[in-house]
Amino acid sequence: MESSILDSIGSEIIGVMTPVSLCMLLVVLLVYSLSPSEQSLSGASDPFRTAANLVYLERPDDSSTQKLEGAVLNALVFVILIAIVTFLLVLLYYYNFTNFLKNYVRFSAFFVLGTMGGSIFLSIIQQFSIPVDAFTCFVLLFNFTIVGVLSLFSGGIPILLRQAYMVCMGIIMAAWFTKLPEWTTWALLLALALYDLFAVLAPGGPLKLLVELASSRDEELPALVYEARPTVSENERNRRSGLRFLLGGVSDSGSVELQVVSRDNADGRENHGNPEYSAVNVGTFGNEMHERSSDEVERLPLVGHLRDGFSSSGSSSDRSTSVNRENEIVMEEEMSPLVDMSLLGNNRQRASDSLENSLITDRGIRLGLGDFIFYSVLVGRAAMYDLMTVYACYLAIISGLGCTLILLSVCRRALPALPISITLGVLFYFLTRLLMEPFVVGTTTNLLMF
Amino acid sequence: MTVAAGIGYALIALGPSLSLFVAVISKKPFLILTVLSSTLLWLISLIVLSGIWRAFLPLKSTTWWPFALLIISSVGFQEGLRVLFWKVYKRLEDTLDAFADRVGKPRLFLTDKMQIALAGGLGHGVAHAVFFCLSLLTPAFGPATFYVDRCPQMPFFLISAIIALAFVTIHTFSMVIAFNGYAEGNTTDQYFVPVVHLVAGMVTLVNFASGGCVVGIPLLYILASLILLHCGKMVWRRLTAS
Repeated sequence: MESSILDSIGSEIIGVMTPVSLCMLLVVLLVYSLSPSEQSLSGASDPFRTAANLVYLERPDDSSTQKLEGAVLNALVFVILIAIVTFLLVLLYYYNFTNFLKNYVRFSAFFVLGTMGGSIFLSIIQQFSIPVDAFTCFVLLFNFTIVGVLSLFSGGIPILLRQAYMVCMGIIMAAWFTKLPEWTTWALLLALALYDLFAVLAPGGPLKLLVELASSRDEELPALVYEARPTVSENERNRRSGLRFLLGGVSDSGSVELQVVSRDNADGRENHGNPEYSAVNVGTFGNEMHERSSDEVERLPLVGHLRDGFSSSGSSSDRSTSVNRENEIVMEEEMSPLVDMSLLGNNRQRASDSLENSLITDRGIRLGLGDFIFYSVLVGRAAMYDLMTVYACYLAIISGLGCTLILLSVCRRALPALPISITLGVLFYFLTRLLMEPFVVGTTTNLLMF
Repeated sequence: MTVAAGIGYALIALGPSLSLFVAVISKKPFLILTVLSSTLLWLISLIVLSGIWRAFLPLKSTTWWPFALLIISSVGFQEGLRVLFWKVYKRLEDTLDAFADRVGKPRLFLTDKMQIALAGGLGHGVAHAVFFCLSLLTPAFGPATFYVDRCPQMPFFLISAIIALAFVTIHTFSMVIAFNGYAEGNTTDQYFVPVVHLVAGMVTLVNFASGGCVVGIPLLYILASLILLHCGKMVWRRLTAS
């Protein structure tokens, strides 16, 4: 039976949503398992001062207005700090200090994984009374950190490992951010969503400048970006080994390719303010502009946009149909896999100068690590209240992400991934907490359900 | 009672849906997206309903008719949303078919459409289970348990898990029946689903009486099996006919 389109539509969106969901799930688990110990520790002691807490340290007995003002001030200061650092990054990139940036990112990854990850591991060991001695622990942590740093920028590392480390770093950072006091967290999230909107879309925004610089030089962005490249053959999902053989060396089986580029991940504390943005992706071929018709088909799960052969050298690309799926290409034209392989393997190759084509070669959706982190922070903070809010916020964020991805396929330019999701998430959190909970708890405790 | 008990309760409510998800839905990304969007729709309906009813809460738990009103209004609203869901699905189906034509693949098969309906129903069911059962399960992971006065035979968590399982089944398969009914224009099916949903909601009112859950829960399961049978018959008929 011929395969229907339902088999493969939407795989790219799922390719991005899965790591985001995984990151959120693990942060929620971490918050749940570690929170009792946190309360006992921080109950009496002063909250520690961080970049997010510079102006105002929240205490439980302050009045609401005090907390609100303090939180807003904190958020403002944080956003300004982030903006300064981002501008610095743009400046450095402009003057071609890319190597410095890369090494700095390596250092910061080492720092994050080693110290912050280490402290989380220590709390887990403490919480669950795991019998492990200090020396083993240190050796394991050291190995973990070094492999993480290596996996970021070196070639020849399995993609799954790189993705796993990206998600790990996201989890560690998000777990740290959830230690901030409540009002400050919410104010921070909203402020960052606004900042992201301006930084990516406004004409003078630092992230916009960065993207333009990078694309004009035809380089990868100097940032920690999670890139979910589509698999070469969707049929791998359907386990057709024949095709696997054809496309053997190109990409790792089954999963998504990942390319992380260096990024300024300043100090574990203050950055992540480069709340990333879904970078450009989804290129379609020039001659397939009609895809852009008003019907929503093409906007559908960014389906075959990728992978269109830039091979104007015949093979697979041009067909009468606008969207080419990789498996079609592979199945129906024998020679194409070879061409595809060379093109796939070499993602820096640019067919032409136009921005359009440079979009094409960046197949796959890219989502910045900052987005992972702040989504997880929101969900982690919701987890501190109740499981109902967790689920509601999770759905809100995922739907916001879906909307952003759809917008991305329409607009074809770098878009901020934070604003829609964070706004929906915060909205749903407060709606659930204030409206839904009394309703649902009231009916269920009376064993009344519908 | 312990982590094991908590996980047990969660699996009672969500076990079958988890197997359904892993076996059928996880293989097709589009179905996962359908599950997520239908869950979101259910959540939004719940928020709207709670917004409307917020002024009247908390309801006195001695009289039963405010609750009846609550259930009738909620079920009515959700069934209305089901029609809306169907309309959106219709447009999506046209889009998908156009896309399939463009790409040179066959249009949506009947089984595809049924799978989408199943995914939609599963989304509703999972949302119900999560909001009505799982979200209250957090204390169950601790050292104690909780009994409700009206139904002292079983812990509260177990009761809610069992009821949630029945409702998950009802929601999941009634969506298949409903979509099929709308597609074929079969009015019996179209009315069957809202009626069963309403009856199921009202049956839980029986739990209001002291010791009522002994009667209420089996009734609920009779309804769930009714839906299952009807869905099975309908699917069999359609698949063997084509």
